[in-house]
Amino acid sequence: MDRKESLKYVLPLVVVIVMVTAIILFGLASSNPDGFEWSLFDFAGVGEPDGGFEGIWAFLGEGAIIEATTGVISIVAILLIGYGVFWLFSRKTE
Amino acid sequence: MHVPDGVFPLWLQILMYIVSGIMLFVSVKMINKKFDDKLVPYMGVLAAVIFAAQLVNFPVPPSSGHLVGSTMLAVMLGPWGGMLIIAMVLFVQALSGDGGILTYGINFFNMGIFSCFVGWALSLVLFKGLKKFTDEKKAVLVAASVASYITVVLAAFVQGLELFTVTGFGYAALAAITIVHAFIGLGEAILTFVILLYFVRAKPQVISFLKESEVTEMAKVPFMPFAVQEYKE
Repeated sequence: MDRKESLKYVLPLVVVIVMVTAIILFGLASSNPDGFEWSLFDFAGVGEPDGGFEGIWAFLGEGAIIEATTGVISIVAILLIGYGVFWLFSRKTE
Repeated sequence: MHVPDGVFPLWLQILMYIVSGIMLFVSVKMINKKFDDKLVPYMGVLAAVIFAAQLVNFPVPPSSGHLVGSTMLAVMLGPWGGMLIIAMVLFVQALSGDGGILTYGINFFNMGIFSCFVGWALSLVLFKGLKKFTDEKKAVLVAASVASYITVVLAAFVQGLELFTVTGFGYAALAAITIVHAFIGLGEAILTFVILLYFVRAKPQVISFLKESEVTEMAKVPFMPFAVQEYKE
């Protein structure tokens, strides 16, 4: 894989990570409920469930910096998982 | 569109886990038939891009929305590859508390199985029609964007039908969830167009509909009622 080709792999990811981090840190993402939550909990008035699994990052608390940091860690994690899984597929291909 | 735990009845969650498990098994089998190791880095990047894009909600007052990306992935890799990437993204999201663990099957059905297949089929039909009037790169961009819009609205409608199992959810709420996604779908279409535009220019080999594609084999779907899968006519 040459340098130009490698750049094609890395560039979109770097751009996306920087954009997402900036959007989260500067509070630009919408805090409105998503379409599903709004329809079910706000419009239909169904009670919101509580006490469920809050995620592996819940112990860190809340805040823009924590959200951005855990977001970037998760992006890197999914990158590695995706790479690993499809690498295994490529080895098993007939 | 991510459903948390504690909303749906247990029987529906178990049913969707079974359906999801079967479809994941089939996807793995289909991908294993033909997968080029040169494409491995792109799969990781695609999964990461979809995950990152889903982190950010854009405002659609009184609600908000985010990219699902199923149609885009299905156009690029075919429905099997698209489903596998969505499965991985939803898994990491569930671990992070976005979407439930018990509702993983439901979320995967809505955003993975249903959206990838419907998005792929709609895109393919539109692509075939548009290709007669314009070049295939423009055709794939327009087809995927329009199909992604329709797919988001249809997926929301299906999610609304599933919500009839929840006490208090009725026809008015079904209309509400569908209508609000008619606006959220516009964001999906725009983001699909922009992200796909990058890949059309930078790496057309990972777009199954295009002549340069190196993923056509893994994108094939057997036993389809409409024989329109010969992308390279």
